[in-house]
Amino acid sequence: MLSHADTIAALATPTGTSAIAVVRVSGPQTAELVRAIFGTSPPPRQAQHADYRDRAGTLVDDVLFTCFSGPNSFTGEDTVEISCHGNPFIAQKILEDLLARGCSPAAAGEFSKRAFLNGRLDLSQAEAVMDLIHARSERALATANLQLRGSLGRQIESLISQMISVLAEIEASIDFPDEDLPSEDREALQRQIDAVLSGTNRLLATNHYGEFLREGIKVVILGEPNAGKSSLLNRLLGRDRALVSAEPGTTRDYIEERVVIGAHWLRLIDTAGLNATPSSLEKRGIDLAFEQAGDADFFLWVIDATRPLPALPAALAGRVSPANTIAIFNKIDLGPAPREPLPKAFPVVNISALAGAGFEALCAAVTKLAESFHVEAGNELIAINARHAHALELAKSSLLVAREKIAVKEPTELIASELRVALEAFAMISGKIDNEKILDQIFASFCIGK
Amino acid sequence: MSISKTPYNVIVCGAGHAGVEACLAAARMGATTLLLTGNIDTIAQMSCNPAIGGQAKGQMVREIDALGGEMAINTDVTGIQFRLLNESKGPAVQSPRAQCDKKAYQFRLKHTLELQPNLQVFQATVTGLIYQNGKVVGCRTNLDIDFLGQAVVITTGTFLRGLMHIGQNKNEGGRLGDFSAKTLSSSLLEAGIELQRLKTGTPPRILGRSINFSGLQEQKGDLNPTFFAFHDTRDPGDLFHVEQTGERKSGWMPGSEQVSCWLTHTTPASERIVRDNLHKSAMYSGEIAGVGPRYCPSIEDKFVRFADKPRHLLYLEPEGRNTNEYYINGLSTSLPFDVQLDLVHSIPGLELAQLLRPAYAVEYDFAPPTQMYPSLESRKVENLFLAGQINGTSGYEEAAAQGLVAGVNAALKVRGSSPLIIQRHEGYIGVLIDDLVTKGTTEPYRMFTSRAEHRLLFNHGSAELRHYEHANNYKLLSDSRLRAILNKINRIEYWQGQLEVTKTVGGLWADLIRRDKNRAALPPAFLAESKEVRDEVLYRVTYRGYLDREKRQIEKLKDVEKIRIPSSFDYLAIPGLRRESALKLNQFRPQNLGQAGRISGVNPSDISILMVLIAAGLRELKP
Repeated sequence: MLSHADTIAALATPTGTSAIAVVRVSGPQTAELVRAIFGTSPPPRQAQHADYRDRAGTLVDDVLFTCFSGPNSFTGEDTVEISCHGNPFIAQKILEDLLARGCSPAAAGEFSKRAFLNGRLDLSQAEAVMDLIHARSERALATANLQLRGSLGRQIESLISQMISVLAEIEASIDFPDEDLPSEDREALQRQIDAVLSGTNRLLATNHYGEFLREGIKVVILGEPNAGKSSLLNRLLGRDRALVSAEPGTTRDYIEERVVIGAHWLRLIDTAGLNATPSSLEKRGIDLAFEQAGDADFFLWVIDATRPLPALPAALAGRVSPANTIAIFNKIDLGPAPREPLPKAFPVVNISALAGAGFEALCAAVTKLAESFHVEAGNELIAINARHAHALELAKSSLLVAREKIAVKEPTELIASELRVALEAFAMISGKIDNEKILDQIFASFCIGK
Repeated sequence: MSISKTPYNVIVCGAGHAGVEACLAAARMGATTLLLTGNIDTIAQMSCNPAIGGQAKGQMVREIDALGGEMAINTDVTGIQFRLLNESKGPAVQSPRAQCDKKAYQFRLKHTLELQPNLQVFQATVTGLIYQNGKVVGCRTNLDIDFLGQAVVITTGTFLRGLMHIGQNKNEGGRLGDFSAKTLSSSLLEAGIELQRLKTGTPPRILGRSINFSGLQEQKGDLNPTFFAFHDTRDPGDLFHVEQTGERKSGWMPGSEQVSCWLTHTTPASERIVRDNLHKSAMYSGEIAGVGPRYCPSIEDKFVRFADKPRHLLYLEPEGRNTNEYYINGLSTSLPFDVQLDLVHSIPGLELAQLLRPAYAVEYDFAPPTQMYPSLESRKVENLFLAGQINGTSGYEEAAAQGLVAGVNAALKVRGSSPLIIQRHEGYIGVLIDDLVTKGTTEPYRMFTSRAEHRLLFNHGSAELRHYEHANNYKLLSDSRLRAILNKINRIEYWQGQLEVTKTVGGLWADLIRRDKNRAALPPAFLAESKEVRDEVLYRVTYRGYLDREKRQIEKLKDVEKIRIPSSFDYLAIPGLRRESALKLNQFRPQNLGQAGRISGVNPSDISILMVLIAAGLRELKP
């Protein structure tokens, strides 16, 4: 009943869980894309081996791709599945290239939605599709919000408010020609556009690969003083990074290290011991630990097996859960003391950080948690980053055109048209911007009222 | 007492700019129509400034002409000064504007109504509506005469519990010297229609011979006036002047003998007078509860909110050829009369000005427009249509556009046909109605070009082409005019194609035009076409890239626009839909997915979910 005009692309497999990542493309331009990228039009349902080169001709990866012709495909449209190496960087590169070639980033649950609308899924699956759209978009929203709360969000907001004030000036001159407004100053306009352009370029440069991919999964090591957090870190790193001593409270600041466990790139944060009655210096360390815990992806809670079970500080009790925390009982070689049950059903691993016992089980537990995290957030992050870059490129090209039009003295309405395209591109990152905002800005800045 | 046993097809209550278009549209569609007005002598009165058109509004008036309305032709024939605004900012945002002879404007429209077959005009104030089984079936009047109608269009303007303020002085009424419709509000409330208050204001009128024009800047009309009506496709005989009673002869040549407006400004003395007396202003002393428009602030607001601005421009606009009354555009106020007098005298050129009518603010009831369908029919009461300021808009043009649509739809409803819905991408009228019914408004709503996403497609010259399909489908224009428009469309498309494929010295014609429209030599056969055809072809060729981009965007949106949402949808019961969206959707009850997507707070993923559910429902119907 509905033919979709646009061709969509997205990651079809969770990242970090396997050696292979699959990027799926669906829509009317699929065959054309395949020809453009691989130079061939292979028969459907036959895997082909080929080099994936981006638009600039740079080799990205050697891949397997399989074409499916509609309606005999998952979505019912022409599709291609490109299997590349499981490295998230590669998957992201391919996705970005596909978007640059004119694909749209697939919305949450969109492949399933298309499959349903094209009659590839039966009626009983409608609710399942809705749940999928709901779940995936909620998660994407949550992930995006996380990002937007950070510096990206602030920078986008600032670009948008600059855009709105530029547009307010232009729109005021169009909509209120008989008003006593400051006369159109095209040089000032150009300067304002340049400011937005340089902000856009800065963002494009820094946000090209998501922080997640660059920095790894953030894991915070928590525990009482002298529970053995630093020993654990050193053991995981295989070298003495944190100062270890029998004196409690040795780690007063926090220490950050990168480590690869399984297929996962982790960013380990060793924090100060959670002393119930800290000195002022320790207190600073503990505050820093709480701060780090705020945006951690998951936690390693190190517990001294020879001592009674410590209580978690209230500030952390709400953050840790069996879904994001492994309880690690250290010093089991010194003989476990009788202890109370854990407050929640955390996965438990028994180790001796000093003797190096129990680390296989620990790595397995960490991998399991990291995988679940990847499945939860990894895809969305790649998608979101590719989408951001796509939107920023769009904004940039419209801003450049607007700039050019100002230079050659094209009519105001065309400059406004380009700037609106740019504003809408920013809105793809931050969410819809109501036209009313431009009017609000006009009425706030200019005395209108002939 | 009922005047007639057979109900009228359509009754229109109110004869302002919305009401006259509504009753003409209904009658022209063949519906037996009754127009009720409290005062036949104030039909189509310009209660505020004596001008029609301007940015976005000018384009809208041309759309009204394209859909068979009267405002455009009436303005052309009674205009006394014509200007095309925004000439330097590009063809799409160029807007015609005209000063009109206020009385001539009214009389010509009154005469037009008198001559209109199927239409009866009667002077009586509507005091309430008659309902039966959730439908409106007629109205009651102050003469204790009831009128029965199958559909009723309400166009009350500022008269619904209208309350005027001049300083602390209060008068009930919708306009200085007029009455207030008091009981109609309770009749609407009784039917479950929610009402709120808005406020608007108007400046003082002064006597022309008391103005010293010598130091003032003159603003003349354009040498080659731009008209509102499409005279190139109109039937001869459309032009007639009120002075030739009963005979459809053309009167003065539209655009001839134009008169001027004059520019002056406030002074530091004006600011001092306003500031010293702020506490006496009805608006600043808390007398007024209604919300006023931000784009048309009172002079009090201007001095207070923009204190750094040393002076404010004022335009002196003549109210007609046969009157010496002038309108001071920009000096709207609710200060007391004595302060107004001092204020006017502080303005260059007006030192000795005599006030003919004081400025005043007026508060009135409006029905938040999200209570309507896009056909302008009430969701609460079947067969009840609302148009104009009662829907929260401001401006003659906005009112007329709604009146036209409401009149057409009232007639269609009676006939049992599906309504005329003008889409957002088709023109300013579409934007206007879509904004009103999906977003509502908190201040008197005025059209601006910046409200339209696709304004590059809305150049004033294309109004008739854009609305041709609607005009043709509903026969809103005469057969001969429809043929003329179709012929015009064909000429334009022919030349558009020719110029893109025909080579000349230096390349394709179209490329030469895009390089420099003014210097490109054009084929002689093209130059033989009418100016209207040439202008539109050149516009489309020059802007081709932009227009194509707009059209692509529209195509994308059209898909969702076509997907109708079953009216029985219970959003709160839909699994997966976010509660915030479900509540919004339940409140606004959009008719299609495009509308749903424009409701703030509704996300694309919510739309996806609705799309799946609708598709599932459709598949269930045809196994």
